[in-house]
This record gives sequence, structure tokens and C-alpha cells, in this order.
Amino acid sequence: MGKKVLVVDDDENTRKFLSTALAENGYEPVTAENGKVGLEMIQSEKPALVLLDVMMPKKTGFVLFKQLRREEEYKDIPVIMLTGVAEVLEDLDSQSGDTHERPYDALREKMRQAIKEMKEEGLVRPDMFIDKPIDPDLVIAKVKELIG
Amino acid sequence: MMNRITIFWKLGAAFIILFLINLLILEGIHSLDLPSTVRTVLAMVSLVLLAGFGAYGFVRLYVKLPVEQLLAGMQHLADGEYDFRLEEDEKAEFGPLASTFNEMADMLTSSLTELKRNRDYLESIFESSADLIITVNASGNILTINTGTVNALGYKPMEIAGKPIDILFANPDEKDVAVQKLRFSENVINYETIFLTKNKEERNILFTLTRLRNSTGAVIGTIGIGKDVTEEKHLQMKLIQSQRLAAIGEVFTGIQHSMKNMLNACKGGAYMVRTGLKKDDREMLTDGWRMVEEGIYRMTAMSMDMLKYVKEWKPRVEESRIEKILLDIEQVIGQTAKDKGVVFGVDVPTDLPSVVCDPKMIHSAIMDIVSNAIDACLWKDYKQGEILEVKLSASTSPEGDMIIIKVKDNGCGMSKSVQENIFTPFFSTKSKAGTGLGLSITSRMIDAHGGKIDVESEVDKGTEFRISIPVEASGRNKEIDYGKKSLSS
Repeated sequence: MGKKVLVVDDDENTRKFLSTALAENGYEPVTAENGKVGLEMIQSEKPALVLLDVMMPKKTGFVLFKQLRREEEYKDIPVIMLTGVAEVLEDLDSQSGDTHERPYDALREKMRQAIKEMKEEGLVRPDMFIDKPIDPDLVIAKVKELIG
Repeated sequence: MMNRITIFWKLGAAFIILFLINLLILEGIHSLDLPSTVRTVLAMVSLVLLAGFGAYGFVRLYVKLPVEQLLAGMQHLADGEYDFRLEEDEKAEFGPLASTFNEMADMLTSSLTELKRNRDYLESIFESSADLIITVNASGNILTINTGTVNALGYKPMEIAGKPIDILFANPDEKDVAVQKLRFSENVINYETIFLTKNKEERNILFTLTRLRNSTGAVIGTIGIGKDVTEEKHLQMKLIQSQRLAAIGEVFTGIQHSMKNMLNACKGGAYMVRTGLKKDDREMLTDGWRMVEEGIYRMTAMSMDMLKYVKEWKPRVEESRIEKILLDIEQVIGQTAKDKGVVFGVDVPTDLPSVVCDPKMIHSAIMDIVSNAIDACLWKDYKQGEILEVKLSASTSPEGDMIIIKVKDNGCGMSKSVQENIFTPFFSTKSKAGTGLGLSITSRMIDAHGGKIDVESEVDKGTEFRISIPVEASGRNKEIDYGKKSLSS
């Protein structure tokens, strides 16, 4: 069997097609339906890479990611986050003072804050995010790039 | 006064000369060898002549001369020499008259100065005002325009005075509208119209029109004081445009957010179908196709919800029993809740009054909130032994005019900022489920009943939704008609 890749996503469909794509490309997929189970699986399965969704019940992807990076044992596990943050990253880089109130700002701000913190801790690489709708071929290409 | 002194001395000199001549004559008469009677007559005649001359001198000096001077003074005033004053000689008989004349001249001068000051003041307001001030006579011809008008419209006062006001209107019919309005009122405030400049450019002018009346109250014309609001109008249009774009942007962002999750199922499903076909793996192909269908189904639901959201909500009201609606919901969703590990309880008193409402709409609204409550439980990381709980209950308000339905869960709760936005279309914290329109449609349904939804929530503690519906149908929802859709497919 190939290297273990953990898929953490609360959407059953995403878990299924990503598992299929990983298996098709010689990896061994394992899955978790939320952040809490995800952490347990990382501890028990010791995957070579984690595909991590962000908006999930129980424990969000950002919380789990930060937790991993703080622990010596898991801090080097490559993580690909399944969310679109290009806009947020751009915004953070330019530090544009957009004061216009929008209803979605509450959510955007939450994500912005999370990414900002991660960025400050040096945890963010611009290429670690894949937006939805997820292209399985793109995921596989990235996984190959990271763990071969 | 030169005259008076000169005349005085002339008369004095003449009198002395005459007196001396008279003495000489008297002396001459005396020395003449004439009968004493003739001498006496001659002496009398010479004395009378002397007295007559003296009287003439007196009248000329003290009556005729002052009257002439007074007349001359009046003539000076009449000629506009308002600073002319008579010399006041207190000893002279006409001294008080001169002083009265001077007082009168003083008053006249001060009144005229005051009048001039007022005129200058009004003129300076008229002239220096950056606003447009136009006066028109009763027949609609322009009388005056100020510098503000000259600057705004490019006409010189001379070019336009006497011309009909119609030439300034881009649409002459608008003048008639203004005239019509003035027929019923002394003032027309904030009358907006478009004027043409000399170069035929359009300017938006906001006018206040006032009737001008003379002292007897007859209408003698109209004064229009206006502001050139072309720039403001332009900026306002730009602002509306940008607000519209921002609103469209919000909607597009929301739709895109919902759609990408639906497309995710399609894209993943398509990958599995492709791989299943390649490998001739029927199970994979079936799984993939189911995913594609799910994506299609959810996009269809979203398009239906979008139509639902924009349609005009008119409840089809009938006398309904809320307990029946709530028990129906328990039947429909009870098993789903149980499967998800959520304890779902319904508490409805049997003595609830019946409610005039659209039962289907209320059913759908409560169902949406209950589904959200169950989801909220699944999102929370419960402590060991804690029970996932959703309670649905109903009661009558203290006044008895409303039925209050509560949906309470002990799930993940919401932050203040999320609570403030939950009724906004496409604002969803659940990225994978739903269309993002559920609560916004629910709130419109309740609103159509004249009811309201309140929410109270605390992160990790839970949420309580309170829906209040009037027992009697309110005026706005009595129509037994769903109304026409404002948007059709």
C-alpha cells in the first residue's frame, strides 16, 4: 500500500471522491467527518499528508491545523486546506482598509483573523489552499508534489 | 448769506446818504425863501420818502430775502443736494424757520441714507448670492437675473431681460407645472427642473418659487431662488449606481459561495463517473452519478428558493390549529433527529386558540428552523454524557393576541455578528448544506403573517428562536391569493 493520506471533511461526497482519486493514484486514503475525529485519526493513523476542510462541525480546520503545528510530533505533516482564501490572503498582503460593511464580513472576518494568525506564526504557504469545487486531479498533483 | 450782509450795508449806506440828502434838502428848504407852509410840506414829503425807503429796506432784508433763501434751499433739496443747509441766525426773525428747514433736511438726508443702505444691502444679497435669483413679471417675462444666474446659465442680464422665462426651460411643459403649482400656493419649495444654459447644456436646478405682490396684494410676478444641483445629482446617480453594484456584488458572492459547494458534488461525481467508466467499475460509476444528481438537485432547489424569495408572499389563510402543525413536524422530522442522535421534544398545550394563518407556510417556516436547530447540535462538540436536544413548544402571549412558538436547542450557538445576519440571503455558516436562503425565506413568510422572529443565542450554549404569529389575521394577509410571482422562470 502507498502512503497514507487523511481526508478530513464533513461532506460525505468529498470524502468519497477524494478517497477514490487518492486510491486510484496509489495512496492509501483514510477519512474523518469532523475536526475532532480528524485529530484522533492523525494520532492513530499517522498519515503522510492531510487534506483538511475548514468549515466543519465540532472542530474547524483552522483550529485543527494550528493544533498540529504546535505539536512536535505532527508539526511537519504537510496539510492541504480545502478552502478558497486567495482573496483573504491578497487582502492581508495589501492590508487594504476596506471599511465597507457587508453582511458576509462576519464570516470573512473570522477566516481573515484565522489566516492572519497562521500567517504571523509562519504557517501559511499560498499554495497550501485548494478552493471548491475541488478538482481531484489538482489535488493529486499537489499531493504528489508534497509527498511524492 | 453774502447777499444779506451786502444788502444790509448797501441799504444802511443808502439810508445814511438819503438821511444826509434829506438834511441837505431840509437845510435847502429852510434856506429857501418860501412860505413856511410850503417848507413844512416839503420837509414832510422828504421825511415820508425817507421812511418809505427805510420800510422797503426792512421788508427786503427781513422778509423777502429769507423767503427767497428758503425757496432757494428747497430748490437745492429738490435738485438732490441733500447736504444743503440754511444759515441759522437766531436773532433774525426767520432764524427758527431756517432751523426747522435744516431739521427737515437732516431727516430727509438720514431717511435717504437709510433707504440707500437698505437698497445696497438687498442689492448685494441679490448680486453676491451664488444661488440663482430670477424675477419674472406677471406675464412671465424675465425682469432681473443675478450674477449667480449669469454664472450658471451664461446669459448676460441685458440679453435676457424682457424675454419669456420659457426659453430657460429644457422642457417648456415644466414651466406650466410650476405655474400650476403656484396657482394653489404662495410658495413652491424644492421644485426641481432642468434649465438650458446659453450653450444649450442642461443644468438641474432646485428652485423655491414665491409670488411677488405689490402693496395692494396684487400679483406682480414671481421670484425664483434656485440652486444648481447638477453636480450633486450626478454624484447621487453615481452613488446609487455604486450601491446597486455593491448589492449585486453581495448577491453574486452569496450565489457563488452556495454554487461552488453544489458544483463540488458535480465535479467530484464527474471524476468518479469518468474513472468508473474507464475501469468499468459499476459501483464507482453509480456513486459518481448519484453525486452529480445530488449537485443538480441542490442547484435546482436553490433556483426554486431564489424564485420563492423574490415572490410576493400572500398567505392563503384559514382557521388553523398550531398544535396540529407542530405535531406534523414531529412526525416528519422526529426520525431524522433520532438518527442523528438528537432528542427532539414537542410541548404543545391542548387549549391553544386556533390561528388564522396559512398552515403550509407556517409549517414550512417552523420546519426550517427546527432543521437548523438539529444541525446546530451536530456542529457542537458535546461533553461526555451531555444530551443533544431540540425542544419545540407553543404558548399564547400574555395578551392572548399572539401565539408564540419556540425552537430551542443546546447546540453550537451563534456569535452576535452571525445573529445579526442570519436573515440575509446567502449568508450561511453551513457551507455544504442548504441553499443559503432558508432563514431569509422563513422570515419573509412570518413577516407576511404580520408576525415576527426573535433570536437569542450564545456560542456553545445554544439558540432559541421565538416566532410570534397574530391569532387574528392582520389586514395585510387576508387576501386568499398567492399573488403573482414577480419573477418568472
